[in-house]
Amino acid sequence: MAPPVERTDAQVVRDVLAGDRDAYRLLVRRYGDVLHAHALCMASSSDEAADLVQRAFVQGFKKLHTCREPDRVGAWLFRILANLCKDHVRSPRRRDVSLATLAGALPSREDPESDAADAEIRSRVWSALDALTPEQREAFVLKHVEGRSYEEIAAVMDLSVASLKMRVHRAREALRGLLEEYA
Amino acid sequence: MNRDEHDRMKGATPPEARGAEDAPDSHEWDRMIATFRQAAPRGSAPPWLEQRVMAEIEALPERSTTQRILAWLVSPAPVRVSPLTVGLAAAALAALLLWPGRGAVGPNGGDMATAGSTEQVVYVQFVLEAPLATSVAVAGDFSDWEPSFLLTDSDGDGVWTGRVPIRPGVHSYMFLIDELEWQTDPNAERYQDDGFGNRNAVLAVGASS
Repeated sequence: MAPPVERTDAQVVRDVLAGDRDAYRLLVRRYGDVLHAHALCMASSSDEAADLVQRAFVQGFKKLHTCREPDRVGAWLFRILANLCKDHVRSPRRRDVSLATLAGALPSREDPESDAADAEIRSRVWSALDALTPEQREAFVLKHVEGRSYEEIAAVMDLSVASLKMRVHRAREALRGLLEEYA
Repeated sequence: MNRDEHDRMKGATPPEARGAEDAPDSHEWDRMIATFRQAAPRGSAPPWLEQRVMAEIEALPERSTTQRILAWLVSPAPVRVSPLTVGLAAAALAALLLWPGRGAVGPNGGDMATAGSTEQVVYVQFVLEAPLATSVAVAGDFSDWEPSFLLTDSDGDGVWTGRVPIRPGVHSYMFLIDELEWQTDPNAERYQDDGFGNRNAVLAVGASS
């Protein structure tokens, strides 16, 4: 028997808009991890990151009829999340919790024996990242932490590659200065 | 326009950012980037995410017929037209534009047009950033406070816009979000109390010359 053919994103969007709400879970499964990885870099805690992703998916569902390119619904959802994350970074409530707290609380992915030293480094670099503007931080995270190409980021953020490179450059300069201060 | 401005317009990399990766201290920078990557929080989405998203979605009310129709009207859809159709449409538009007595384009981006033979209206652009909204309408004394002018957010970026024909004069208005929540325009130039403990935004619409 032939394996079941997986529905494309465009088919899923069409089915959801036709009333099959349950089909939306396919998009949550496909893009949950990617969105969550970005939210972790922008939020103050892992709980807040998950909450941002949940809000992005629900908002995406509510406005799915406005998605102009259903075959690129993943990028569209990412853009919704990115906007929510930037708003989150700007919010006064979030400012009360340093992102360094999150970095220090997360387990090391490297050698467990060097956790203490790693925690110190993580706290320092993420404190510096916390001081960037939301736009600089987003650009830097997408480029240097998530390792995406300029073209890919520019498409998602609706910026020219030149503007994006400038934003990343300014973020790097700011980080360089901040890390020298902390050194 | 100098060379840099020209390059920028053409989408070239600005000189400030050009070659940043090739800077003399690039090794130092590479080490810093590696540190950032190592320090980055990672982790898969929590297993309960799908369940919570779907539970919240299931709890949402079904969209009304009106909402479906409006959504259909504002949602982008491919339109195929033949060159002949385009030519006919262009000819019709040209005839309309050359028709005597039509409205003129006003200053400051406000399009002036005639409503009837004597009443003039100005098309005012309303903008509201409401990322979580599913519908945004504007209501004011120019609509007898009926939220009859719907704003749209066709690209899904959370910024809702719409142009509303308004007669010259001073008008009060508010936004209605999701047919439920009234919100004052945070970017209005002036405000006034509405007598019920809230503030209306105030808009001054000038007459065209």
